[in-house]
Amino acid sequence: MRNPIKDQVAIVGVGSTGFSRDAGERSPKSLACEASIRAIRDAGLTAKDINGVVSTQEPMAPQPHRLSAALGIPDVTHFSSPTPVAMFSLIDAMNAIFSGACDTVLVSFAFQRLPWNSRSAARDPFRKFDITGGVVPMPESMDPSAAYTAWASRYIHEHGVPREALGRVALNMRANALRNPLATMKTPLTMKDYLRARIIRDPLCLLDMDVPVDGADSFVLTTVEKAKEITDHPVVIHATSVGLVDQNDEDQLPSLAHHGQHVVVDALRKKSDVWLEDVDVFFPYDGFTIITLGWIENFGWCETGQAGCFLEEHWDDASGRVLIDGRIPLNPHGGSLSEGATRGSGHVREAVVQLRHQAGDRQVEGAQTALIGCGGFFFNSQGAILRRL
Amino acid sequence: MNEQLDDTALSQRFPWVRLDHDTKNLFRAWLDRRFVITRCDDCRRYHHPPKPVCPACWSSALTLTPVSGRGTAHLVMLLHQGAPAPGVDYGKGPHPVVTVELEEQEHLRFTSTVVDCPPEDVRIGMPLELVWIDRYGAPFPAFRPRENG
Ligand SMILES: [Zn+2]
Repeated sequence: MRNPIKDQVAIVGVGSTGFSRDAGERSPKSLACEASIRAIRDAGLTAKDINGVVSTQEPMAPQPHRLSAALGIPDVTHFSSPTPVAMFSLIDAMNAIFSGACDTVLVSFAFQRLPWNSRSAARDPFRKFDITGGVVPMPESMDPSAAYTAWASRYIHEHGVPREALGRVALNMRANALRNPLATMKTPLTMKDYLRARIIRDPLCLLDMDVPVDGADSFVLTTVEKAKEITDHPVVIHATSVGLVDQNDEDQLPSLAHHGQHVVVDALRKKSDVWLEDVDVFFPYDGFTIITLGWIENFGWCETGQAGCFLEEHWDDASGRVLIDGRIPLNPHGGSLSEGATRGSGHVREAVVQLRHQAGDRQVEGAQTALIGCGGFFFNSQGAILRRL
Repeated sequence: MNEQLDDTALSQRFPWVRLDHDTKNLFRAWLDRRFVITRCDDCRRYHHPPKPVCPACWSSALTLTPVSGRGTAHLVMLLHQGAPAPGVDYGKGPHPVVTVELEEQEHLRFTSTVVDCPPEDVRIGMPLELVWIDRYGAPFPAFRPRENG
């Protein structure tokens, strides 16, 4: 499989507002500006160095031209607003740089809890977003969040998996989030807490679902040549892939044995010079706990149906989290479940921070390679391998 | 027959569906309690939800074809909270949502609810059959347990 873009584009800037359940009287554009200014300054650049703007199409996020105007970015030769989750925007920026459409791109992700996510969000008169398209919602609709629960029922049925298998995913993320100052969730979580948590859609409970947040992440991407002028050890994008199968209507997916994640993994493996034995830090998406089990199995860390056992085998009792072979953490920032529902931007940010060796007491010693599995099963499966040069 | 009901009137009967010209006649059939699935006249494959062409052979010759309504529960979840609907009371107990694999074709599925059965008894693999219930004053295809065979 061709991969001419391998190691040609670098992530040279990261910026984040940090995440909370209530950022106060802030617009999503204000959050995006704060994260973007931090990311551009982090790269040692200024507004005039940016000539591409990619702003992800989150419900309340600014369009790329509005973000450019707010930040006074002089002349932009590439702008776009890809759909979530995170890698669509990063891949668009990467391809724009490699093709010559632009040289240095600001990539923005801005999140605000929607009116139905919380009482304080509902009280904000400016948070108006209609996700329904004018139709009355129905209990039997197979929207994506319902679909993950429905397929979790199938996974549990086929493999006889106890709820603790999903619980270990939630516990791992929480233990990691406690060491991340940007994270929303700040209280420890036990298996007892998990098993007692409110059931929302049986078989999943509140703690199987990511936590909606206010906040923003931004990135600056540029050519590897320019990155080497900025730093001796740039973090480069080694390989990426996205994946889709034909029968991707949520309830028509033939089985859990072949979906978007499988297409992603197959392509990523063929495009990459490195694989699991080279990975120092692993970022499986965790919008729902079942998605994480899927990534662990589909990347080939263990057999199908065995991810729960795998987590148990590689559980580090001392830190209350997973360390594969005593070494490789899963989402050391706390993931979507406990840092906050950034739809993958948090995973990418932490990967960059780890590969720069700037993760403080979360740092994986000498990290050179990060593996990311972003998104779920149906229409947003994505993968990436980032490396430190 | 409700063949004459115009599209505007049809939309008003199904306020919970984002109808379009590909899907409208499936719902029109429900008004006559006809449970139909899109079938290709050329390759004879069914598909759901309705698409403008047959995904298997690209034929546009598609016919809404009555199916038995018999199948097996493939995915099962119990909503402890969720969207409101007439006749659904989360205070009284969880509301089952079930994806049924229809007997006409492997992987051909339809998602609805199960009635005439305690929610906690609904299980993956359970044989089910069609039963019409009412939703916002229009017929809505649901399922109930059936004897195997
Ligand atoms: Zn056909």
